[in-house]
Amino acid sequence: MKFWLRRITFYVVTLWAAISLNFLLPRFLPGDPAAIMLGKLRRASGGRPLSEETIKSIRSILGAEDDISLWDQYLAYWGRLLHGDLGVSSTRYPAPVGELITAALPWTVTLVGAATIISFVIGIIAGAWVGWLRGTWVDQLVPFTTFLQSVPYFWLALVLVAVFSVQWGVLPIIGGYDVFEYPAGPEWSPGFIASTLVHAILPATTIVISSVGGWLLGMRNMMVQTMAEDYVITAEAKGLTRSRIRTAYAARNAAIPSLSGFGIALGFVVAGSIVTEQVFSYPGIGKLMIQAVQGLDYALMQGVFLVITLTVLAANFLMDLVYGFIDPRVRRDG
Amino acid sequence: MQDNRWRKVLPLVAGAAALALTLGGCAPGGSSTDAGERPIRMWSGHMTPITNNFNPFATETATHMTFGAIYEPLFFFNQLSDEAPVGLIGDSYEYSEDGKTLTITIKPDLKWSDGKDLTSKDVAFTFGYANNVDKDMVGVETPDDTTVVVTYSSPKFTAASQILGGMWIVPEHIWADITDFATETNPEPVGSGPYTLKSFTDAAYTLEANKEFREEVAIKEVQDVGIDSNQSSEDLLKTGKLDWVGQFIANPDNVTSNGRNATINQQQDPTVIMTCANAALGCEGAQTDPAVRQAINVAIDREAIGSKAFAGLSGISTPSFVLPGRDDKWLSDPSLLESPQSPDAAAAGAILEAAGYTKDADGFYGKDGVAIELDLFSPDGWTDYNDAAKLISAQAADAGIRINARTVSDAEYWTPLESGEYQMALYGLTQSLVADPFSTYDTYFATEATAKVGEAPTAGQNYGRYSNPIVDQAVIAAGATQDEAVKKEAYAAAQAEIAKDLPYIPVVLNASQSFFNTKDFTGWPTEDDLYASPLPYLSTASAVILTHLRPTEK
Repeated sequence: MKFWLRRITFYVVTLWAAISLNFLLPRFLPGDPAAIMLGKLRRASGGRPLSEETIKSIRSILGAEDDISLWDQYLAYWGRLLHGDLGVSSTRYPAPVGELITAALPWTVTLVGAATIISFVIGIIAGAWVGWLRGTWVDQLVPFTTFLQSVPYFWLALVLVAVFSVQWGVLPIIGGYDVFEYPAGPEWSPGFIASTLVHAILPATTIVISSVGGWLLGMRNMMVQTMAEDYVITAEAKGLTRSRIRTAYAARNAAIPSLSGFGIALGFVVAGSIVTEQVFSYPGIGKLMIQAVQGLDYALMQGVFLVITLTVLAANFLMDLVYGFIDPRVRRDG
Repeated sequence: MQDNRWRKVLPLVAGAAALALTLGGCAPGGSSTDAGERPIRMWSGHMTPITNNFNPFATETATHMTFGAIYEPLFFFNQLSDEAPVGLIGDSYEYSEDGKTLTITIKPDLKWSDGKDLTSKDVAFTFGYANNVDKDMVGVETPDDTTVVVTYSSPKFTAASQILGGMWIVPEHIWADITDFATETNPEPVGSGPYTLKSFTDAAYTLEANKEFREEVAIKEVQDVGIDSNQSSEDLLKTGKLDWVGQFIANPDNVTSNGRNATINQQQDPTVIMTCANAALGCEGAQTDPAVRQAINVAIDREAIGSKAFAGLSGISTPSFVLPGRDDKWLSDPSLLESPQSPDAAAAGAILEAAGYTKDADGFYGKDGVAIELDLFSPDGWTDYNDAAKLISAQAADAGIRINARTVSDAEYWTPLESGEYQMALYGLTQSLVADPFSTYDTYFATEATAKVGEAPTAGQNYGRYSNPIVDQAVIAAGATQDEAVKKEAYAAAQAEIAKDLPYIPVVLNASQSFFNTKDFTGWPTEDDLYASPLPYLSTASAVILTHLRPTEK
């Protein structure tokens, strides 16, 4: 029990530190980000005065407010966060940052999340297999997948689009669903869901192709290492079936280090895949982030970073739970 | 703003173009749905997510179809011709002798899309609403339902296109209740244009024909989609999913060869080497000497720049800054029609030597033992500009002038331009929207439009810090009259000075390509009949084109 308590405390403190840092960073930036944002907002609205609420919101999120102590600003900042107010985007004025993120999040989580899981599962299974049969022809898989990983992602995506979408016309070119078929937006119909699945194929495939190599290589090497362990040799000596040794003894233990990597990868799912979303006009978070950075849209940037921080922490927490469950060693109080 | 939209995705283009060439071939013509039934699909430059904003006062962030298709100005000024503006809501207009009174007659029996009457009262309301209010406006009156009389304290001849063509008329019965027009998103717009909003999502929005519009439109639905890369829109166009885009495509044959799409390439906005030209206002560097600018002007090889950096799509620049063709009558001296196209290192050397520069041991010119060394920057990723800068640097070196081409981030690009802390930058000026170079001279060359180095110009975009009393006088003289002879004389004086001083060294005229589906839709502008610019992101022009289109009969 002490273990869990310690972990939870750790996460609460990290969360608090991350959010506080988010509060402090813009205040330490050279210049006044809030003033820059307000200037941009004014320009976006055609040089007209902004509403008091907007100004307050931007100031409390980004910059020093006049005559208010840092502590009070900090409290106001927390107050806004807890009400879900992340400010107003200047590149998408007057859309609230919270709404933009809420709209983009499900797309990214589903697409990149599914792609990450698929790529992990394929990588681990293939890696175990390659490690098991090390020294045979299947070892060629390693340089091959590593090569795929090093192909510029962007180029890979373009090749796939050029072949499957433009040349053969079997897969869609852009979007999370068929915007021509469903002009009124998402709806709960089988046709629409099928459309989202079809639209996810190419982006997901590119992510899987370019990331499977890493999992495969790591798993293969761990597998080779594990197979030299005493308990595997003992298992062999006992005369267990080869498939049992492979899965229950070698692969199971070899996969443990990859799991923590998987936890981190899951956390970064929310950061999205900037290039995927850009190439496929896929409605996700990664694109919001790149637009925010390009347009110096501080409030949007901060909102996106906050959400990423939260999910990385949450994913790590989840993996901690899983890890503590499957590997008793980490629970031992030291 | 609009001009730069394609640049954001430009890095994608370079690789994609190469790829398209490798893979070659063209796809089958896509799904051949019945054109009469389906909406026309366009990309007006929106990136996803599109913001649900139809506020005609949010000029930077509202959806593009807000302007022209849903809300209309009084008149349409065709930036490609010198013909009189076409009446939309407006029927006719007239300036008083002194230019201080503007009488506008609007068409009778107009209606808003909610069925209420559109009268002169709405127009008068719009003139007095929000940031439409001109500080020079003295009063606005409506003697009857179709007449509006606006009075000003100064002549407003040159502001006609702004007042009559750039002010979006809104219904008083709705906007009178909207006090916070800055945060208003107007999700259910009521306008007078040919279309009304049918549905909106952050990936695309659809307009349908406005039943109350003064005439019948043949295209019943328009869908404007958000796309994040030029390559995607090129692919969609090729596969028949999109009908209309305006973007840079290095190899247009790729898109047009299937017989479905046509293209028009307009060359109008000048790309220039902008210089911080005026030492008196605080500019520093050798480029403040007109002789150096003149030498660079003759040293560069515009032919090579056009074909290599701009893929052969750009036009020939003019030192007079009129738009060749459209503005020919305002060109005083035929020798000012074209900038020199091939390099002349000897002439450049002669100019510098006459100004007291000498060549050093390395073959570079300098004065008092200090070699000229100039910094020319362009935003990283604007590949055409980056390539042009490199070529300019090499060509100037051949003539003994050292120019260092440098790329900077987007943010680093705009700040020094506004503050004047730069030497030279590649920049795109915006051509005047009417067949009269007045706004170009007024915006980029007048002393009024500049500021000291360290401050940003507020009343114009004279980032070159150029100041010349002859030009200033010419601008004032031309602005206060409708007399063509007087204007011509003023422009002649300005053009001679500008071409000699070269605060902006013209390089090429930028290409703007548009692509449209002529198989399913007819009525597009042609090279012979450019009744409006076919760029889907140009506000009123795109709406004018939509009303001219009809499905092809099969």
